[in-house]
Amino acid sequence: MEDIMFTRFSNAFDTLAGIQNAVEAARLSDYFGYSTTQRGAYPFINLFQENDNIILTAEVPGLKKEEIKLEIKEHLLRISGKREIAYPEKASVHRLERRNFNFDRTIKLPVKVDANKVNAEYKNGILTVVLPRAESDKPKSIEIN
Amino acid sequence: MAEEKSEMVVQDKKEVASGKEPTMPGKKYVPYTDIVETEKELLVYMDMPGVDRKKVDIRLEKNLLVVDGQIDSQTYGDLKPIYSEYNIGHFTRRFEMSNKIDQSKIEARMNDGVLLLTLPKVPEKEPMAIQVN
Repeated sequence: MEDIMFTRFSNAFDTLAGIQNAVEAARLSDYFGYSTTQRGAYPFINLFQENDNIILTAEVPGLKKEEIKLEIKEHLLRISGKREIAYPEKASVHRLERRNFNFDRTIKLPVKVDANKVNAEYKNGILTVVLPRAESDKPKSIEIN
Repeated sequence: MAEEKSEMVVQDKKEVASGKEPTMPGKKYVPYTDIVETEKELLVYMDMPGVDRKKVDIRLEKNLLVVDGQIDSQTYGDLKPIYSEYNIGHFTRRFEMSNKIDQSKIEARMNDGVLLLTLPKVPEKEPMAIQVN
């Protein structure tokens, strides 16, 4: 369905449209069921697949990379961190919409991950974690004699 | 009942509401913004995750402050989305400034997805004393 809808846009926005479709789909699906903290958990994540890798992204603006903690065990990934907003002293406030946050989320990944090869990057407020599938988890093809 | 913990409140991204339809597909979001005022300046903080320092456009037209942030949608080039909780899109927001701002001295800094605008206020003129000869 989604392919039919968006084939007309032959540019980078295909990807955007694809993500947006997946959002709608995720709202309706129970792909993660009860395994991950339910909807309402922070930060929001997106998962992508690239060959054997799973790529996780999360929008967590305004942190230092040292303030983000990642832990991995087999197919569980834990992300935690904290943002504290500071203003100059004696400042009067006109508008406050940004929030301090304090997050700790464990995500169950669809595959087992090789913890030694995980690569994480924090850039422009986006956390990107590349999670390679563990060799032991990959399907083996068996030759028939 | 349980106490309300502000830091645990989940903040969903807010889409730009406009009556007009864009010609390009893709969504636009309103960046969450804090504005504080000190004696000399107005400080504007905006959360714009995914926006590079070079992709921010800031204009001040009379009293209207316009901020546009473009994300790089190529980042996710050939990746196949398999699970998704948030959408991505460009950011845009405009503010009507009530203070007189010294346009030539506006400074902007982008750090870890947060834009900080420093808008210096025009100092009020001191009353001029006129001497009678």
